[in-house]
Amino acid sequence: MTRVAAVADIHVGVDSVGRVAAGMRHLNERADLLLLGGDLTRCGEPAEAELVAQELANAGVDIPIVAVLGNHDHHAGHAAEVVGTLEDAGIVVLDGTATTVGIGGTTVGIAGAKGFGSGFAGANATAFGEPVMKAFVNETRREATRLHDALVAVRPHADRVIALLHYSPVPETLRGERLEIYPFLGSHLLAEAIDTAGADLVVHGHAHNGSERGVTPGGIRVRNVAQPVIQRAYRIYDLGEPALRESPVAATG
Amino acid sequence: MAEPHEYLVQHIQDALATDPRARELGVDVHVAGERVVLTGTAATPAQRSAIADVVEELADGYEVVNEMTVLSAAEDGTIEELT
Repeated sequence: MTRVAAVADIHVGVDSVGRVAAGMRHLNERADLLLLGGDLTRCGEPAEAELVAQELANAGVDIPIVAVLGNHDHHAGHAAEVVGTLEDAGIVVLDGTATTVGIGGTTVGIAGAKGFGSGFAGANATAFGEPVMKAFVNETRREATRLHDALVAVRPHADRVIALLHYSPVPETLRGERLEIYPFLGSHLLAEAIDTAGADLVVHGHAHNGSERGVTPGGIRVRNVAQPVIQRAYRIYDLGEPALRESPVAATG
Repeated sequence: MAEPHEYLVQHIQDALATDPRARELGVDVHVAGERVVLTGTAATPAQRSAIADVVEELADGYEVVNEMTVLSAAEDGTIEELT
């Protein structure tokens, strides 16, 4: 068993102290790894990041925690401080990077990026026209490329690979949201990067009114774990036992 | 002439995103007759209440109906097998 707990959009603010801690008291015995899919804070204030760390500490969470930031975590303009605070608390924060976690005899690789919008195949924005429009789409392209490269880099070191995002790579997990805002909720460029590089599971948040389950065009399962969608403290996914690899490669930490 | 409903909805949503009391992008705002109906999920009871306060200030002359729910974050050990 490789039990991965995941949640996104916990939006911790000064008026929500205790809520996250109360929901994670049994996490250590139920899961081997916790993924946080962005929007950990309400506005990206460093004090809110401190509260996130305190909540997890107060719950006694001592399994590995891997996170990406979301758009809310960038709002106040202190993303670097937010990352520093989370990392000081032992949380691995990915940003176009990857890490591995050993669980029993299994090594799980996690490649993470915030991602960004642009929409989905057939109705996506293109990098054409005004500089700000090009910047919008090129930001997503950059996020997708960095996610792809992180997935490729971690694959040889892992039995199972997870792509961790804030924005959605597919429209299926947005079902329930208004169609007009799909371009601001995710991008097919992220799915293309994941399908090209390969992964066993994709976890994201951001779409509060969306749906939990979807799949990439290449057949990789996608889960939207935004807390308003899953309506619980976290979801747990069991990735099972890995297939034997032909050429085992030593895991890296 | 009263402000068309469409503009009021957008002004409310802009305020909910930027007002420090709310900071919430996920509120659905509908104007129906003389009522402004709010649906969606707030992170806490305090935020749910603050969102309604922000809307009350903007929607002068309207009755604000707050049908938002508060985020449920109870612990649940259900496991989905992905094998």
